[in-house]
Amino acid sequence: MAPTSQVLVKQTSNVRTIILNNPQQLNALTPEMASQILELLNTYEEDPSVKLVIVKGEGKAFCAGGAVSVFLNVSWKEAATVFYTAYTLDYLIATYAKTQVSLIRGIVMGGGAAFAVHGRFRVVTDDTVFAMPETALGLFPDVGASYYLSRLPGFFGEYVGLTGARLDGAEMLACGLATHFVPLEKFSALEDALCKANTGDPKIINNIIHDFSNKNPKLKEKSQFFRLKTINSCFSRRTVEDIISALEEEAYKNKDDWISWTIKTLKKASPTSLKISLRSIRTGRLQGVGQCLIREYRMSCTVIQGKVCRDFFEGCRALLVDKDKNPKWEPSKLELVSKQMVDSYFAPLDDEDWEDLKLPVRPNLTSYAISKL
Amino acid sequence: MKGETLKSYQTFDRVKLLTRHLQNHNATPCVYDFDTKSLRKLLDGASVDDIDYIFNLMIQSNLFCPRERDGKVFIAPDFNQSMEQQREMTMRRIDYLREQGVFDELFSKGHLWGFVLSEALGVYDHSLSIKVSVHFFLWGGAIRFMGTKRHHDKWFKPTETYQVKGCFAMTELGHGSNVRGIETMTRYDASTGEFIINTPCESAQKYWIGGAANDATHTVVFSQLEINGVNQGVHAFIAQIRDENGNKHPNIRIADCGHKIGLNGVDNGRIWFDNLRIPRENLLNSVADVSPDGQYQSAIKDPDQRFAAFLAPLTSGRVMIAGSSMYSTKIGLAIAIRYSLSRHAFSIRPNEPEVLLLDYPTHQRRLLPLLAKTYALSFASNYLKMIYIKRTPESMKSVHLASSALKAVLTWHCMRTLQECREACGVQGLQTENHVGHLKKEYDVQLTFEGDNNVLMQQVSKVLLAEFLAAKKRNKPIKGLGLEHLNKPVPIIPSHLTTSILRTTQFQTDIFCLRERDLLHRFATEVSQHLAQGESKEHIFTVTYQIAEDLGRAFSDRLILQTYLDVEATIPEGPLKGILGLMRSMYTTIVLEEDASFLRYSYLSTDNAAVVRKEVLKLCSELRPHALSLVSSFGIPDAFLAPIAFNWVDANAWSSV
Repeated sequence: MAPTSQVLVKQTSNVRTIILNNPQQLNALTPEMASQILELLNTYEEDPSVKLVIVKGEGKAFCAGGAVSVFLNVSWKEAATVFYTAYTLDYLIATYAKTQVSLIRGIVMGGGAAFAVHGRFRVVTDDTVFAMPETALGLFPDVGASYYLSRLPGFFGEYVGLTGARLDGAEMLACGLATHFVPLEKFSALEDALCKANTGDPKIINNIIHDFSNKNPKLKEKSQFFRLKTINSCFSRRTVEDIISALEEEAYKNKDDWISWTIKTLKKASPTSLKISLRSIRTGRLQGVGQCLIREYRMSCTVIQGKVCRDFFEGCRALLVDKDKNPKWEPSKLELVSKQMVDSYFAPLDDEDWEDLKLPVRPNLTSYAISKL
Repeated sequence: MKGETLKSYQTFDRVKLLTRHLQNHNATPCVYDFDTKSLRKLLDGASVDDIDYIFNLMIQSNLFCPRERDGKVFIAPDFNQSMEQQREMTMRRIDYLREQGVFDELFSKGHLWGFVLSEALGVYDHSLSIKVSVHFFLWGGAIRFMGTKRHHDKWFKPTETYQVKGCFAMTELGHGSNVRGIETMTRYDASTGEFIINTPCESAQKYWIGGAANDATHTVVFSQLEINGVNQGVHAFIAQIRDENGNKHPNIRIADCGHKIGLNGVDNGRIWFDNLRIPRENLLNSVADVSPDGQYQSAIKDPDQRFAAFLAPLTSGRVMIAGSSMYSTKIGLAIAIRYSLSRHAFSIRPNEPEVLLLDYPTHQRRLLPLLAKTYALSFASNYLKMIYIKRTPESMKSVHLASSALKAVLTWHCMRTLQECREACGVQGLQTENHVGHLKKEYDVQLTFEGDNNVLMQQVSKVLLAEFLAAKKRNKPIKGLGLEHLNKPVPIIPSHLTTSILRTTQFQTDIFCLRERDLLHRFATEVSQHLAQGESKEHIFTVTYQIAEDLGRAFSDRLILQTYLDVEATIPEGPLKGILGLMRSMYTTIVLEEDASFLRYSYLSTDNAAVVRKEVLKLCSELRPHALSLVSSFGIPDAFLAPIAFNWVDANAWSSV
């Protein structure tokens, strides 16, 4: 294990701790890291001496998401293989046969969220910040987000997915994205206790985490989770246009910072992204995690192929390269994004050697592995 | 201790088997590797997104009682609640849907949206679907079709917002299917410009009026209209029965129909009118009106024709019921088939694992023909919706005919399927949370409301006969109602049937046409013999019901096959077309096997009937590997199914008690 490696492994008898180690870039996930973790997890699943797998990030962040910049200098087909690996990894985590704990400190966003949220036990803390900020970048919440966001209470998932709203640890616990909240000062003690327990029995693991956790972390006074009623009545609407006008109507009655921010954020995001994200979450609600990933793979490939819309490249330019924070979306308005355009993201790609994502057969799937939220 | 280990091993093994069957579509070799989404698109057509939107809304609201079982969320009404609580929940769910804008501009939207609402809401709860349908499609539909602009302007908006809650008072204690026989009487008072509605006797009380017991503020009343001593027949009026605070109008008495075997989320009530006065404008005057000075005016002079024109728009109810029944059928089948793919019973040889239910030929024979039939009938229901939406005055007769026939055939199929599914699930089918058994109670009403099925089927035969005789009289080829095949030479049925012949569309069409044609001739002959003996037409139809019934079936089956072939023709060669062809053969073969008329009238020789019977067995084993994909293609989300459709071992584990 070279010290420069981006994925570190700590081995204590029957426990393996996978550490994302790219702290300068907040542990952003590179394709190499994804393949490496995929390999590790596959090995551990087969290896009878491994009982518990812990995933965490080095330093003060868990994972800031996929390193999207890698997509800018490669052909779309090369980029597609990156998605292929990443989604296969997400599926493996979501259906992992062995007990797995994600210790989530600091930032957990986009592609990184998949690690955290698809896992069996998802432990958050005081400084955890979760977001799926893809729509601001011309992308859409992927990595299985259409599965887990759609299973949040009411229409909170639509809200989180479309606005990229940031959630703190307490909010993640409240909406079900996290299973436990452990105060920061007890975090490393928890890790030690888990290693020491040296077991894969989910009940024992649950009890250990439970002992360390704060069962009822207080939501901050202005938490967006308290706005669930408004969120439900607005984000349940049929189309993005309807959602925005419902919000505007609400703002007219009752204006405050949160609602202005929500409207402003939606108006700033890529119109195409918003439309495909909404459809993706709504479709995901009626599908299993595997089907969600297969669909998202189609969508991602359509995005990077750039035939229907080039917002992703524009988003990267404006936010990551030129950093002028002023993306020029095309189409520029929601009403210019036709149903036909949206449909094309959900269809197989019209390309000779492109194929749908083929997920590995997971014979040992127990039902708790299928659905953890 | 040893025993326990073995047991836990068995459980683990069982879970493995179970999940393998439910998740891995490739566990058994499939001849047709079709895309379930494309097949669903054929079933739900242009409405896929609309239906999923309604599903989304229901799944995400706590009002729809989500319950977690083994990590999966299921939603279903709490049927353990009292009747009053169930009714209140139905209203609260409607309020929620209204707040989401589901009913906005409903009357300006196309009819397809109405079908989506009744079908998608019915997947959750029949009461919810019926309560919404009564308000929008019976009350609202009556205003839309029987009323004119003045009614539309006044009532559409408040109906969409539920400011006005409507019901539909047609059925009486003494009269149901025979609408013309109702006894409620309305007269006109020219001095005040008002109609006076009265219930003259107990058998004239309005009965089973959905919404009347608790919630409705207004109703459409069907009543005889007597003007200047002349009875002008049945007309419809708008009457307010409660004020906005729920107080009953003093000239109205309302009683509750009470607890029912199902549909307790709907408040069915009884209404008596004690000389209730309503303004003249409340007459729904699309076919007839009364002037302020009390003169009766109608463009249609013949009362029979007037009545037919008047009631024709209400065909939508039957179209809707036929459509809805297919969705409850799908729920039952999806649950029973998924269960049969994870439940084992008995070993064939000692010490071998038990056999999966659906691997027993008997179990296949019980469920798979029903599955294929459900596809055929769903396509027919789509066809019915389409001809209803595109109806013209000229096409009204065939819409009416198809809606009568299909409403009966589809709802009968629904009940039969649910009963089979409930038995196929064993005692698990009795548990309310597993739906299949409970759905029977909820959907039983379909067989008799909007026309008793037996009466409808007799009507079908009557219409066919009239059309046949009219063409004969004109001495011209018969046209319309799909009867054109009568102009062609009589189809020849091969004397020795084989598998390959049985599966050709030529043979399938031929034998269905032959049956319809022959029965129509037989029916005509029988009726004319009775006529020759000087019997009245009415009497003749009561005694010739046996052939009439067979003919009604023959017409329906031929129509269903035709719509199936039309769907198939739109599909390019490939696995999807392959599976559709296989299911069509299953559909036709099972009809040949089950309907006694083929043997009774010798369309099939006894030898050929034996070949047909063998073919059913073969078709079952060929459909078997596709069973899971075929029920997945129904597109009913897991949340609307039941724990036994998934990992029922974990769902029933002690830890989940």
